[in-house]
Amino acid sequence: MGRELWRRLRSWEGLLAILLLVVLAFNVTRVPNFLTVTNQINLFQLGIEKAIVVLVMAFVIISGEIDLSVASMMGLSAAVVAALFELGVPVPLAILVALGVGAGFGLINGFFVARVGLSSLAVTLAGYVGFRGLARLLVQDRSVGGFPAWFTDLGQRGLIGPVTLSILLFAILAVVAAVALHASGFGRLAYEVGNSAPAARFSGVPVARVKIAIFTLSGLVSALAGVLMAARLGAVRASTAEGFELDIITVVLLGGVSIFGGVGTMLGVLLSTYLVLNLRNGLVIAGVTGNTQTGIIGLLLILSVLAPNLWERGRAGLRRRRPEPSLRAPPVAPAGSMPSRAATE
Amino acid sequence: MKRRRFIAGAMCAGLLAANVGAGVLAQEATPAASGAAVEATTGQDVKMMLLPKFLGILPFDQANQGAQEAAAELGNPTAFDFVGPTAENSVAGQIEFMTNAPTAGYDVVMLSNNSGDQIVPSAVGAQEAGTKVVTWDSPIPNGEGESVFVAQVDFTETGKVMADMALSILGEDGGQFAILSASPDAANQNAWIAAMEDALEDPAYANLELLETVYGDDQSEKSYEQAQALISKHPDMELIMAPTSVGIVSAAQALQAEGLCDEIKVSGLGVPAEMLEYTQNGCAPEFALWSFVDLGYLTYYVSYMLATGDLQGVEGETFMAGRLGEYTITQDPTRPDVEALRVLMGPFTVYNIDNVEEAAG
Repeated sequence: MGRELWRRLRSWEGLLAILLLVVLAFNVTRVPNFLTVTNQINLFQLGIEKAIVVLVMAFVIISGEIDLSVASMMGLSAAVVAALFELGVPVPLAILVALGVGAGFGLINGFFVARVGLSSLAVTLAGYVGFRGLARLLVQDRSVGGFPAWFTDLGQRGLIGPVTLSILLFAILAVVAAVALHASGFGRLAYEVGNSAPAARFSGVPVARVKIAIFTLSGLVSALAGVLMAARLGAVRASTAEGFELDIITVVLLGGVSIFGGVGTMLGVLLSTYLVLNLRNGLVIAGVTGNTQTGIIGLLLILSVLAPNLWERGRAGLRRRRPEPSLRAPPVAPAGSMPSRAATE
Repeated sequence: MKRRRFIAGAMCAGLLAANVGAGVLAQEATPAASGAAVEATTGQDVKMMLLPKFLGILPFDQANQGAQEAAAELGNPTAFDFVGPTAENSVAGQIEFMTNAPTAGYDVVMLSNNSGDQIVPSAVGAQEAGTKVVTWDSPIPNGEGESVFVAQVDFTETGKVMADMALSILGEDGGQFAILSASPDAANQNAWIAAMEDALEDPAYANLELLETVYGDDQSEKSYEQAQALISKHPDMELIMAPTSVGIVSAAQALQAEGLCDEIKVSGLGVPAEMLEYTQNGCAPEFALWSFVDLGYLTYYVSYMLATGDLQGVEGETFMAGRLGEYTITQDPTRPDVEALRVLMGPFTVYNIDNVEEAAG
């Protein structure tokens, strides 16, 4: 029992949980109203769009790819809603079009990666520039607002008690993502593709279809997040969500997902999401200015990328005295957990 | 501390029906007391946040300096927090600070709004949770969630001053000019540009042709690029009007770098210390501004007095703001379509080669 607990604590998720407890303890003692429902809602609400995209980004990275176009897609989908609304198109229809644009461009990303065989770094970098460019064409240098009240209310007010639609969607998507990743055939395929695409292909895994599905979902979910952001802010600019992609990717990496693919858990990703939200909340409430916030969170994220590698190397160093445990380890040790564990979950 | 003082209300209580709420009494009693300006109750403990559009530019540092001065005079035992987002993250960052302000226990937030109406949900939320929101420099366009706006100058007058400077630089024959603004979400710049466009309708300015308005988001590099783009795009342009302290410097730098200061001039709103060089070398012969130190000072007085209950935040209240003297809360005539209150500071100073050096200190 004691050994089991020790083993769990030594996992990356255990480390995150401890880190989270430290930040929570800090917040609870420093901020009198930290544990109020309002503050917990605020805490999620202020980063909710990123949190939603983090869920799908975990799949992208576990499958061994990257999607740099998510934030530009958020901006584009918000811009599509805004531009269509200005043209007199009913908002529900505009939202559907925006979601369609997201899924469509996601599909195209997936096609170029999986069928044409281009690097996802290059393909989605093109999307990063291109989608933002389209958003700029649609909204120009303006701030488009004046949406119907029901739309902004959905983004800003509680749907069930104080819980907003965005938070509700995040909760549902988090459960769906956890089940899909750890308890479905699709999740198993994602890990196999991420561990080794050629090996997966030889064992009959439809690698291309899995990747296309994941990129399509990534576009769709990013577009949804963009629409939610437009509703929350009540106004859209071409720069909506600019720079979010790096925050999103770093939260996924902090969650213990290996940048080389094949490794990571949804629990780790959710822990790191909550950790970063708490950190920001604590810093803002403590009256820390924007520049310092960026600095502190940046420092944490650097550590999060370096620490797991150093951690694994340290452990590998100890283990080297014993018989070689695995020949499957990637050239640089993966972030967080061992490949064998990922496969069992 | 959110203690409301109902002294005036209590005095009238006997005269009025017993079922009238104390809050209403206080509000009704205030205009009756007008004539005598309200003095601030010193030494009250008020937790305050000074939230500019972003940190790192001189005008906001000057406002901070003015607020510090007022804080010392009023003897508030709790030092206020001068916090702000980065310029790139201004909109989301301001919303984040505003949303979390009640949780952090702030009694009042002093906001220079850079988030258009996007700040409204969080400002309304703050008010509902008992945190006052006093805007300064840049208001909330639709007035929702805003207790009162401390205006540096009359926004209609700003338009007129800019039109006059353009006329004075371009001469009676007029010419083409473009506007380099801050962000499309900046309520103050938007209002000034609209006011300037109104002013240009007057036949006196018939020869002034406004080409277009571009936005540099109050970031030096972006403003510089936008100024360069204007220069290449409009060969006959003779003036760049930048109603922002960041944009005006960037535009002057761009003109100087291209050696175009003889053909094209810069004007607008700028800080004397930053503009001295360009006024002396002829790039920016005339520009205008008000004192940001005074604006920070006055904003602190208004905010402190609202939080202590010295002021109720209703139309017609007159109060003393330390060394700046007496002010009155009025409806905001520059936002006629919405319910909004204003305290007007003023005045404008137009700077040129004769007075810029002294002002630059």
